[in-house]
Amino acid sequence: MKKLLLGLLILFLLLLPFLGLSSYIMHVLILVIMWSIIGMAWNVLGGYTGQVSFGHAAFFGVGAYTAGLLYYHLGMSAWWGIPICVVVLTAVSLVVGYICLRLRGAYFALATLALGEVCRVAAENMVWFTQGNLGILIKERTWIGKTWYYYVILLLAAGSYLLIKKVMESKLGYYFVAIREDQDAAESLGIDTTFYKTIALCISGVLTGIAGAFYMNYMGYIDPGIVFSLSDISILTVMVVMVGGVATFGGPTMGALIMVFLAEIVRSTPKIGAAHQTIFGILLILIIIFLPNGVVGDFRKIVKFFKPKRTRA
Amino acid sequence: MRHFTFVATVISIFILAICTTQVLAQEARFAIPLPLTGTNAKFGEIEKKSYEIAMEEINAAGGIKGRKIALEFEDSQGKPEISRSIAEKLIDVKKQPVIFGEYSSSSSKAIAAVAEERKVPYLVVTGATDDITQQNYKYVFRMNPTNAYYAVGLLSLFKEVVKPKSIAILYESSDFGTSGAEDMAKQSEKFGMKVLVKEQYEKGAVDFRPILSKVKAARPDVIYMVSYVMDAALLMRQIKELRIDANLYAGGAAGFAIPEFIQNAKEASELVMTATLWSPQIKYPGAVEYAEKYKKRHGDYPSYHGAEAYSALFVMKDVLTRAKAWAPDDIRVAMKATSMMTAFGPIKFEDKEGYTNQNFMDTLVMQVIKGKHETIWPQKYASAKYVYPIPKWRERN
Amino acid sequence: MAAQVELFLQTLIAGFLLGGLYALIGLGMALIMGVMRIINLAHGDLMMVAMYLAYWLFTLLGVDPYISVFVVVPLLFLFGCALQKFLITPVMKVESILPHNQVILTVGMAMVLSNLATVFFTGNYRSTPVNYASNAWYLTDYWKNAPIELSLSMPWSLSFLCAFIITVALWFFLTKTDTGKSIRATAQDIDAATLMGVNTNRMRMLTFGIGSALVACAGCLFIPIYYLYPALGKQFTNIGFVITVLGGMGSTEGAIIGGMILGIFESMTATYVGMGWAPLGRFAIFVAALVFVPGGVASLIRRKRLGR
Repeated sequence: MKKLLLGLLILFLLLLPFLGLSSYIMHVLILVIMWSIIGMAWNVLGGYTGQVSFGHAAFFGVGAYTAGLLYYHLGMSAWWGIPICVVVLTAVSLVVGYICLRLRGAYFALATLALGEVCRVAAENMVWFTQGNLGILIKERTWIGKTWYYYVILLLAAGSYLLIKKVMESKLGYYFVAIREDQDAAESLGIDTTFYKTIALCISGVLTGIAGAFYMNYMGYIDPGIVFSLSDISILTVMVVMVGGVATFGGPTMGALIMVFLAEIVRSTPKIGAAHQTIFGILLILIIIFLPNGVVGDFRKIVKFFKPKRTRA
Repeated sequence: MRHFTFVATVISIFILAICTTQVLAQEARFAIPLPLTGTNAKFGEIEKKSYEIAMEEINAAGGIKGRKIALEFEDSQGKPEISRSIAEKLIDVKKQPVIFGEYSSSSSKAIAAVAEERKVPYLVVTGATDDITQQNYKYVFRMNPTNAYYAVGLLSLFKEVVKPKSIAILYESSDFGTSGAEDMAKQSEKFGMKVLVKEQYEKGAVDFRPILSKVKAARPDVIYMVSYVMDAALLMRQIKELRIDANLYAGGAAGFAIPEFIQNAKEASELVMTATLWSPQIKYPGAVEYAEKYKKRHGDYPSYHGAEAYSALFVMKDVLTRAKAWAPDDIRVAMKATSMMTAFGPIKFEDKEGYTNQNFMDTLVMQVIKGKHETIWPQKYASAKYVYPIPKWRERN
Repeated sequence: MAAQVELFLQTLIAGFLLGGLYALIGLGMALIMGVMRIINLAHGDLMMVAMYLAYWLFTLLGVDPYISVFVVVPLLFLFGCALQKFLITPVMKVESILPHNQVILTVGMAMVLSNLATVFFTGNYRSTPVNYASNAWYLTDYWKNAPIELSLSMPWSLSFLCAFIITVALWFFLTKTDTGKSIRATAQDIDAATLMGVNTNRMRMLTFGIGSALVACAGCLFIPIYYLYPALGKQFTNIGFVITVLGGMGSTEGAIIGGMILGIFESMTATYVGMGWAPLGRFAIFVAALVFVPGGVASLIRRKRLGR
């Protein structure tokens, strides 16, 4: 039964562009899929390995700028950014890991937050390299219609999903969770926690960077304030995963769906539009208090909420 | 089974949302993207109010080709990627044949890229960074002067009256600040002014005194700042506090050209000059009336951004009246042929000096004299005589 | 030569005064962190709330911001207590996979606070243009033939003085009063404190209240020299946690020293490296502290005291 549903879903996704949806809706869908990649990537480090990062914008931005700068300085097509950023982001992740992974818990969160901001300020100031706040503009984007972008991101998302599934179902996955549950116990059992945390960080960073490179190609314009943004990228990533469900497979996708759609709907409503951060903030608080494992993780709680009478003796 | 119901519910909500947005997309009005929230909200508001005043006047005179205009405003929150989505929505969903609006340089740039790609004409109203009209875009038209030209009036004042030998440039790290500073630096070289200090700062900086002390040590003849209003006010206050005596303090429009600057910097704003594109006293037709009407309604004179927005709607009226049909290519042809006078100044789109479809007009200089912005240069537009040289801080009051 | 000396001294003075203000911000956050082990990422937004209160008192009732301290600070104290009681405590009880929920909670709070301010007060910049805003004492007024000119800003100095007085008062409170000692006990070892009869829940509430009050104070002292907009919370939260880490988590003396160091460091960076890099300098020092001196200044003091 599950396999059939899955098959139908995949078919539906593949045929989606032919449903004649407006390009605006396609745009939102592409964003949803991109955010689910970012969410899944964050989840590897945060949900599974327990290292909560508030600075994923650093990876996203580096990925976006890799693609953008290849175009701007070397005249290459920005799509090369995707394969090249695998290398670049691995290097960046190693550096970030070296600095931050020795820290625990909240300290790690703060350090990543700081690094995200460092990247932003650096990108703003290194005008000779990044154009600073003038940003990078791709004059002719590869395709005008949304369809091919949709397939590209769908492919990237499928690839990420399969990769993460493979990793989490292997020994690596168990090591990650062991580190999350109790790092010291894991260490004492002979697991090289630093090594495995670094691997988790690299996977997380590379996937986020790929999403960033895609973003450069798709949107055609980036600047440090957009791609290194604390509230629009880093915190949104955390929200996507927290709302959807930490440490679950479907969680980040669900979270991306909810957050992106919610963002669009709220923003388009004239009166409430200005208050969208308030709504998000309240949502975040409610989720933290009542559904700390997200919609997917605490699915049972939601179900129970809708059927109260049954469990009462 | 429960999982299935859940998934089905989610998908149905999803489909419902799609249908709702489709239904809402049927109206035929003009939607204008503006930053109504976020850091540029203030200017977004000024432009919105100005568009509304223009709309009322045009409708009172019969509308465009007998049709009354209705305006809607889409909030881009000052973020270029949102401006971009709004532009795509307007073109693809609302099928608007022409786009105009937006305030910041980066948002205007993002929309310009979309407009050119989709072959829909876009009128840039306020975005000032030069590269928007340096890309050979056929569909993008800009009615406001670019950053490179903002300071033309100021520079002619320098050449004829001030004759400075050195300059210090401070600018905020935005698109606008960076391009304004780069242009001033380039022009300074041409003039033989040595650039002693050129520093960018992040908007919202708390303490400029370290950098100002550095400026003080360099002893420039002119201190030129490209900032938005609060930084502008803070800069002048701290300059006064540190008693930095330059021959002239000049701003690159934006924050220096609006009344809040005077209200917030108080005595520190006195005798500060600024480049500007327009002033409430200027003799273009309809300018003074618009400024007074705005002041009566909203309590303060509008900035030049307001005048840009107000005139933009009149430009659109002119273009749409002349266009063969209200379709993108016809509108583009009509726009290219524009030649008219507005409250903001003369509007004609030319291809010259590396720019495409760019309007060129005189830029002015204002000075704060006795707590009020007066136009002082070029002299044919002046409402008061300029004050130069200016007294040292210690000698004031 | 004189110009360079003047530049250096003026930068040092600016850094010093800035540091005083920073210390006040960091102090509140350090206290909260020490007692409750929470990183309060909504700290800067509490300051913003206080500043709006001070602004409205000034605009509507003509109350000078320095006077409004007496009204705003108690209000924020109560607000902080309420936040702790109704939002933070429930979260601390929740079972979840990730233990970092309180941090995320404070992020949510920050979003709500700054956005509500935008909705109610619009994004317009506000300021309280008091008459003495750009007044200063000048060296050449007192020493007629000084080779250099130094200026000491009046409002900045006043703020520094107030910050100093409050820090001393706080020190008295924490060391000499019963409640203060109970708070420190809760910070040191919560279980032992409970066993000794300290109402730790109450202490937690009080701490958050005091932390909020401290940052509210900083806000009131700050509004005459700066300006106000809803999003300003973020940069001060950043400053707050940089100071807390620099000073050593939970250490109040560390926070004060950390604040001063940060203020001077930022001013020096602004002058000698470039102003655009100053925010980067802030984070650089933060990461450096995290990596090289994880216990912060406090651990250095402790080491010296213990003679190691």
